[in-house]
Amino acid sequence: MATKVIMPKQGLQMTEGTIISWLAAEGDTVKEGDPIFEMETDKLTIEIGAPAAGTLLKIVRGEGDVVPITETIAFIGEAGEDITDLLAELESSSESDETGETEPAEAIAESGAGGPSGPVAESSAPAATTEQAAGGSRATSDGPFYSSPRARWKAEERGLDVQALAGSGPEGMVIERDVLAAAENRPKATPLARIHAAESGTDLSSVEGTGPRGKIYRRDVDAAAAGTAAAGGAEGGRMFAAIPREDRSIPLTGMRRTISARMRESLDTAAQAVHRIEVDMSETVRMRERLKAAEVKVSYNDIILKAVAESLRTHPRMNSVLTEDAIIEHGRINIGVAVALDEGLIVPVLRDADLLTLQGIHSETRRLAELARTGGLSQEDYQGGTFSVSNLGMYDLDSFTAIINRPESGILAVGAIKEKPAAVDGELVIRPLCGLSLTYDHRIIDGAPAADFLRSIKTLLENPYLLL
Amino acid sequence: MDKQMILQVYDTMLTIRKFEEKALHLFEENKLRGSVHLSIGQEAVAATVGAYLRKDDYITSTHRGHGHAIAKGARPDKAMAELMGKETGYCGGRGGSMHIADVESGNLGANAIVGGGIPHANGAALSAQLRGTDQVAVSFFGDGAANEGIFHEVLNIASIWNLPAIFICENNQYGMTTAVDSVTSVKDIAVRAAAYDMPGEVVDGNDVFAVEKAIKKAIKRARAGEGPTLIEAKTYRWKGHWTGDPEVYRTREEVEEWKQKCPIKRLEEHMQEKKILSEKQITEKHQEIDTLIDEAEEFALKSPEPDPATVLDNVYDEGEN
Amino acid sequence: MSKKKYSAAIKDVIAEEMRADSSVFVMGEDIGALGGVFGCTRGLQQEFGKERVRDTPIAEAGYVGTGIGAALTGMRPILDFMYLDFVYVAMDQLLNQAAKLRYMYGGRASLPLVIRGQQGIGRGNAGTHSQSVEAFFTHIPGFKVAMPSTASDAAGLLRTAIRDNNPVMFIEHKALYATSEEVPDDPEFAIPFGQAAVRRQGKDVTIIATSLMVGRALEAAEKLAAEGIEAEVIDPRTLLPLDLDTLLHSIEKTGRAVVVHEAHKNNGVGAEIASQIMESGFKYLDAPVVRLGAKPCTLPFSLVLENAVVPGVEDIHTAAKQVCYK
Repeated sequence: MATKVIMPKQGLQMTEGTIISWLAAEGDTVKEGDPIFEMETDKLTIEIGAPAAGTLLKIVRGEGDVVPITETIAFIGEAGEDITDLLAELESSSESDETGETEPAEAIAESGAGGPSGPVAESSAPAATTEQAAGGSRATSDGPFYSSPRARWKAEERGLDVQALAGSGPEGMVIERDVLAAAENRPKATPLARIHAAESGTDLSSVEGTGPRGKIYRRDVDAAAAGTAAAGGAEGGRMFAAIPREDRSIPLTGMRRTISARMRESLDTAAQAVHRIEVDMSETVRMRERLKAAEVKVSYNDIILKAVAESLRTHPRMNSVLTEDAIIEHGRINIGVAVALDEGLIVPVLRDADLLTLQGIHSETRRLAELARTGGLSQEDYQGGTFSVSNLGMYDLDSFTAIINRPESGILAVGAIKEKPAAVDGELVIRPLCGLSLTYDHRIIDGAPAADFLRSIKTLLENPYLLL
Repeated sequence: MDKQMILQVYDTMLTIRKFEEKALHLFEENKLRGSVHLSIGQEAVAATVGAYLRKDDYITSTHRGHGHAIAKGARPDKAMAELMGKETGYCGGRGGSMHIADVESGNLGANAIVGGGIPHANGAALSAQLRGTDQVAVSFFGDGAANEGIFHEVLNIASIWNLPAIFICENNQYGMTTAVDSVTSVKDIAVRAAAYDMPGEVVDGNDVFAVEKAIKKAIKRARAGEGPTLIEAKTYRWKGHWTGDPEVYRTREEVEEWKQKCPIKRLEEHMQEKKILSEKQITEKHQEIDTLIDEAEEFALKSPEPDPATVLDNVYDEGEN
Repeated sequence: MSKKKYSAAIKDVIAEEMRADSSVFVMGEDIGALGGVFGCTRGLQQEFGKERVRDTPIAEAGYVGTGIGAALTGMRPILDFMYLDFVYVAMDQLLNQAAKLRYMYGGRASLPLVIRGQQGIGRGNAGTHSQSVEAFFTHIPGFKVAMPSTASDAAGLLRTAIRDNNPVMFIEHKALYATSEEVPDDPEFAIPFGQAAVRRQGKDVTIIATSLMVGRALEAAEKLAAEGIEAEVIDPRTLLPLDLDTLLHSIEKTGRAVVVHEAHKNNGVGAEIASQIMESGFKYLDAPVVRLGAKPCTLPFSLVLENAVVPGVEDIHTAAKQVCYK
């Protein structure tokens, strides 16, 4: 029996993806995992490997097609295998999107819920989040979908799927103005392309699309942006003329929009309070040096993560989540490690951090950070965190306050390790000090236990041998 | 009344009688829908009045109006077809027994609302007056209608405007199942004419000669522009108010008593006495009318039902003015 | 063209038609010597005589029935009602007789009858002298119903009514008699039935209004315009036949409709119009059609109360905004 190649779900918010190109042709033999097509969503461009070994029997969706997730796009099987039944089944059951329109996907991007999953991504149940992807106000209720007859008429006229739109009428009903807004005269582009265009300030109408029927892909936007920059640079000779004086408008889309909403939501929901403590990192510094000499490379952050993981083990209340009528202390310790990106912020998760060795933590955090920077993170990578750590030490901050990554109960903000005067046994000495700030949710945990948790981290960092 | 007129009146009365009997028969055989209100026993008034009206004079009638229609020239076959709701009826099956009308020949229609037609005759009279003709309009109505407000409004209007209207009240002693005396403030309805400053006369409605005298006077007065008249004809209906009426409100003795005063029998006796018609001729006449009515029955039975596709026709007149 | 009052426009058309056709005559209460309480028949008796311009007794059923008889036999009566509230006294003759006789007689009779009079609020005449009665005559088949809101429309529609071979309920308004505008002098000037008038063009919402409410709708439209909402105001002019095409055409453009009349909202003609719009123009609608009408109580005498019962400019303004989701 032939294997179906489907449009895979690549992110929490994803409901459909665009096939950019087929990397194998009908008749080609493929091994499991061989890249066979390239696809784009609002978050990333990715190559997808073959789900099975065999011959690529038939490609049913082509380049440029927008395909809902889990829909079949090709079949792999034995050469010469009869798949007429499978094809017939496909015909009758699929809702094919022959138009290749991206407007529904645009609505996803426009409503902002489709941004790359940042600290906010894991906060809602997957079902609700998918709803959010489809339209703004519908997200507030999982209820029936309403649209006015006129809205449906106008949508049909414009080739729009009224079901995919956000409704501003009563009870979230989609009304005429919602359809007209969605169908504003815009060039056809993929959601990711729109995000890049918005963030680089590129006018989409000036970009030449290399997709089918001139559809604009991200690479086209990037190319256009680079060209503009080059063109701008050529004029560098004239001193003041080259300095831009106009206001720059960055549309609130994608990751930025998501972060914006989630940060607000976090502060609105949790009762956030902060504890500060200064840690004498002398022993940690010493330990790190010794390890370096033994050719074991770990960073200060790795050690801090280990200390946090241990402390979470002994202070499970800091590793919990508040539900409607209970506080659930997580069994596992998955620490989110914030990574700064050009576009914003992403928090990949270090799974079972308490079970990892220092080396393990080191290699895993490096892997995740690399993936984050290249846009290669998948759903599992940023899902399921139970506590987060944000390190802005490289910016020389003494300390800072982080906002809780919902729905976790706390986040640790790590400052720079700086040589500072300290008092030891009544003597003035210079020690490498590090400022730690713990933002905790006072609804879940009170000041004293939170302080105890923070002190535990301090104790471990000041006596790192306890981590063994 | 000259011989010619007598024969005409007799012919009409017999036609009415046999038409009504046939209608009753067809109703009992379930070949007629709704119910019919028979005027058996009251033929003299309709027939005599009809004989003295011109073709271009007008009448309006009541729910018990088959007789008046026939007296004004309605053909039994088209009338019977209307009773059966057929396309070939006078109203194309749209009006039925209670709304038989033939406006072109002056029959402005039977009316199912008690008193509903009285003002229409009044209006026809007004129309004649405005147009300067000497046409007259007769309104037939019953003792029950004489207590409706519309009766009083119309008589008042006819009087003040001096209209060529003749109001004929056929007092058959009962308004449906209610005896006239129990609901009427006066013994003789004709008395009310005085309230409206017009002549009022009581006549034996089953005596064609008495009716003749009164109607001739009224018509002459109206045509001369002297105004309206109210005639009350005392009479009796042999059958119930409607077909199927159990007649609990009167005695069989009373009915039998009135049957003795049958207007047709009285005229037959008169004609034989005056040697206008022999007994044999009378029998032949009966047969002749029987045949006429039988043919009417056959015509009606064989006629087509109206086409449902035409149900919205004639709500409005959209012809050229 | 001459500038004249609504009541004068009525009078002039009656006079012109009576001059042109001797079968036209007028009957009613206090219409002869007085010339009508609102002057709609002033001077007619002097010109045409007491035969053709008749004062009747106070006997509405009597003179309507008489009018019916005259219409059946070659005349074209115009029956005047001092207050259309009085039609209730003549309902049998109006709805059982006038509306039905032609049909019941299989089409073999015509009733070229005009029943004309005024209705509505505006003079503190209280519950039985301030009503709106059009719904009865649009409900029972047989009548045509016209409701002119301007002097010129009154003239054009009345001529059509008089020349129509059917019973026409011609509904004027006591508060509109004194309004004036330019009216064509042409003695043939006639507005056909079934032709609505677009009083104001707009693209955002359609307001359908009758009689006195047309003016209020136009005022509301001004307020809406100041808020950036352009209302299209349509006066159906005749309720039966109703020009549904013009209404639908407008709603195709705007997607939103408000129907306003002075008669009670419940079971009023607005319900019929809204239903017809929904049935035939469902896909054009962005919002449900909203109806405005008098509240379900007898019209009170007190002016303050009367104004609280009958739709006002503000009610229309609010309803229009409501259907625009603003």
